[in-house]
Amino acid sequence: MRPLTIQRLFLQCAALAGILFVVVIIALKAGAVEVSLFALGRDLIRVIVHHGSEIKSDYGLIVMNIRLPRILLGIFVGASLAVAGTGFQALLRNPLADPYVLGVSNGAALGAILALLVSPHLALLPAVADLLTPLGAFLGATATIAAVYFLGRREGQIDSTTLLLGGVITGSFLAAIIMFLMTSETGSNLRGMAYWLMGNLSTSLQPSVYWILWLGFLLGAGAIYTTASDLNLLLSGEKEAMHLGVDLPRVRLVVYIAASLLTGLAVSVSGSIGYVGLLVPHVMRQIFGSDHRILLPTAAFGGAIAVVIADTIGRTVVPPAELPVGAMTALAGAPLFIYLLRRRMA
Amino acid sequence: MHHTKRFGLINIAGMLLRVLLAVIATAPAMWAQTALTASTTSAAQNGAPAQTFREVVDETGRTVRIPQPVTRIVSLAPSLTETIYALGLQDRLVGDTDYCDYPPEAQKKQKVGGAINPSLEEIAHLRPDVVLVTRHLNTLDTVHSLDALGIPSYATDPQNVDEIVASAKRLGDVLGASEAGAALAEELQHRLDVLRQKIGARPPRRVLFVVWTDPLISVGKDTFIADALRRAGAVSIIDSKQDWPQVNLEEVAHLQPEVLVFADSHGETTAQHLDVLATRPAWRILNAVRDRNFAVISEAVNRPAPRIVTAIEELAAKLHPEAFVEKPAADKMSGNMVLDVKSQCAH
Amino acid sequence: MSTVAPSAVGAMRSPGEASRANNDVRLSVEQVSYAYSPNPTQAPLFTLEATSFQARAGEIVAILGPNASGKSTLLKLIAGTLEPLSGKVLLSGFPTHLLTARTRAQRIAMVQQESQLLFPARAWEFVLQGRHPHGRALRFESATDLAVARNALAQVGAAQLSDRWMAELSGGEKQRVILARALAQQPLLLLLDEPTLHLDIAAQVDLLHGLRHLAVENRYTVVVVTHELNLAGEYADHVVLIQRGKCLRVGPPGVVYQRELLEQVFQTPLSVELGPSGRPRVNVVADRESR
Repeated sequence: MRPLTIQRLFLQCAALAGILFVVVIIALKAGAVEVSLFALGRDLIRVIVHHGSEIKSDYGLIVMNIRLPRILLGIFVGASLAVAGTGFQALLRNPLADPYVLGVSNGAALGAILALLVSPHLALLPAVADLLTPLGAFLGATATIAAVYFLGRREGQIDSTTLLLGGVITGSFLAAIIMFLMTSETGSNLRGMAYWLMGNLSTSLQPSVYWILWLGFLLGAGAIYTTASDLNLLLSGEKEAMHLGVDLPRVRLVVYIAASLLTGLAVSVSGSIGYVGLLVPHVMRQIFGSDHRILLPTAAFGGAIAVVIADTIGRTVVPPAELPVGAMTALAGAPLFIYLLRRRMA
Repeated sequence: MHHTKRFGLINIAGMLLRVLLAVIATAPAMWAQTALTASTTSAAQNGAPAQTFREVVDETGRTVRIPQPVTRIVSLAPSLTETIYALGLQDRLVGDTDYCDYPPEAQKKQKVGGAINPSLEEIAHLRPDVVLVTRHLNTLDTVHSLDALGIPSYATDPQNVDEIVASAKRLGDVLGASEAGAALAEELQHRLDVLRQKIGARPPRRVLFVVWTDPLISVGKDTFIADALRRAGAVSIIDSKQDWPQVNLEEVAHLQPEVLVFADSHGETTAQHLDVLATRPAWRILNAVRDRNFAVISEAVNRPAPRIVTAIEELAAKLHPEAFVEKPAADKMSGNMVLDVKSQCAH
Repeated sequence: MSTVAPSAVGAMRSPGEASRANNDVRLSVEQVSYAYSPNPTQAPLFTLEATSFQARAGEIVAILGPNASGKSTLLKLIAGTLEPLSGKVLLSGFPTHLLTARTRAQRIAMVQQESQLLFPARAWEFVLQGRHPHGRALRFESATDLAVARNALAQVGAAQLSDRWMAELSGGEKQRVILARALAQQPLLLLLDEPTLHLDIAAQVDLLHGLRHLAVENRYTVVVVTHELNLAGEYADHVVLIQRGKCLRVGPPGVVYQRELLEQVFQTPLSVELGPSGRPRVNVVADRESR
């Protein structure tokens, strides 16, 4: 009998945090421009100590303003998608569930497309106009979350099967609208959207957006974590969980909204990066077990590591072009999924 | 007499040889004539009016039989529509796509749908003599469907600016307007030669041609757009074999292009967008963004049509202004509003 | 692994469980009825008419009847997951349907047919789930929890299965682990819905025997839904006989097992005789002519 203790949780998370740190260092070093991290670190310390606001070197600017934000975005997106995927797999009692199964990503994509179509006709301040696409995507995601929630209820409560059906149907419907809109635009409009939809971390964002993302992650992941023990019981069956004291309607609602919000935030800024939300929970489950109290944090780390690695490979393998991170995760994800299936633990 | 006989023999041999040579020389024409007569006969046998055909090889290597003369044309690409107007054959244009918007009169023509998925029914309804397609936009599916309907389709496939000019000339030839085609090609070539002279030995300016910003997409080195940039005295800093490479912003920041080039015939959208870009810390690393070295040119640069030369001239004037001192300020030939953000901003 | 003496289990219970010690009525079902109609305007598809019985700590109640007689519904009413149309179910004086999910799980343990486990779990993890109602939301299991779980496994004779994967266990072994989880809840009331369905005769006897033993030792009140006449007759203190939503008789087996009554309920010729233990034994009459 080896139950989970706080010490074990802390140690395992620290180990993963260490791996993530190493991955980030490698990612900072990799890229079009040669970077001496030592020199960069020294400059950083100088800036902090002398309260200066400039890193003079050319590479310093590139690293701080392009590479580092991109890595941070990758961490956020990877962690959010993995946590959301874990939540949905427990909520829907389905190991094939991923964050996009309930249609949130299609709603976000539609919102982004509509924002793009609308924004030339609005006279907006430049900083606001820049936020329009992620904002539109997030609004689209929220609307989809609400719609699927109402579709997914039975006798006033979320029912897993009905939710899954409602979500899949809504997702298909939204995908059809997106296809319609895409085929009625031509030339560069179409091309740009297609790249965005594939899943991309190269969007450069206003700094304020990063704070919102991190706040959203803490809230969403935190909310799901409070239901971790309940989710463990859910794995034994819904009726059993109820008889063991799980407040099923509340847990379902919290997990649904939190996981959908995490997905919506991630998709709003990076398009639909696939396979992370589906596979990272399975891999972490193999290593750390099905107890959600450790599964959720390790999935967050695992997702962050996976996305940063995929993105780094994508942007260094065919210079000066780059491969979208969504393509990299698919290339790695599909064989991994087959492997997991064959091991029959997925 | 002895020598008369020989002379006679040589005469006959010579005559035979000449006849043989004549036959060989005119054989293709004869074969075509045979084909013509064959089809004429069959047509005559069917009681239909005699129809002549001409076999040509289009730019993708397909052999196409086009009825002569060509009186009804359907164009399935905006670039081809523009070329038809430039050739003066617009009266024979009976249908074009929803996106054929230049010149403005083209919008009044009968529409047959999109370029990628046109309505075959509409096309058939218009009874065209030939349908014009281009490989960079239209699909093989469409061509096969037209074949199945018995409607001839002629495909262009220009890969660079020279080929765009040659393609226009050949199109004029195929459509029975060889003179117009030759004149058009000559005019375009003349303008390109003048341009090359004016730019002379000046070093090309290093530019980034921006197709999309989120994510950053540019053009590959083998595209006709890249060639157009070269003709305008510029060189794309992106050296990629892909046609539409997604480019790493870091790479661009490292290469520091002198000018960012955008294609937008209605400059207001781009002006807004450029203001937005200037607020992003990542983009401000680019000198071109900080100093607002943008060049916005006509969208004609995106179309492999005669008007691309106008866009090239436009860009050249912006990139090498000192070479164009005597050039009039507004380029009336393009008929577009030329927006130069740099000149509009107060310094 | 040390086995905790049974009496010590009582000492580890949460305070305030004084009712366990005395011999007052623990479970009181008073004129409970229920009706189910899918549509408010339609006549109800199914009804359970007013039913009453009582049970003390340490007693086993068997709810007996043919299929679709309303047994499971009655069990749900007792558990409080269904609200009665009329009447009330009181557990230590408190109506069960007013309990919150958490408190209910602390007082009532339900043992049902197990649904498919989604991801693999070991037996001890499974049993530890029974401690969930007694903890705060985000806590980790304490030493007490581990001891209770270990002891629960020991009490059902499944201590050696502790480290095995649930998926590898046989039907009988799984049943024991599920029971152990219910015991880990340290409930007042133990409810079982057709627990003997997939068990062979030896396992069935094992289970009921163990239940009687546990009921006495841990002072549970046990309610078992079954259609096994002889098991109920042998082990139950009270039998509630139900047919088509109607409670026909309540009482000890000796009182309820009357031939005419049983034949009417189960629609087949039967004979009742006294068994060696002093409890009634019901036999099927194979040859319908001989009487």
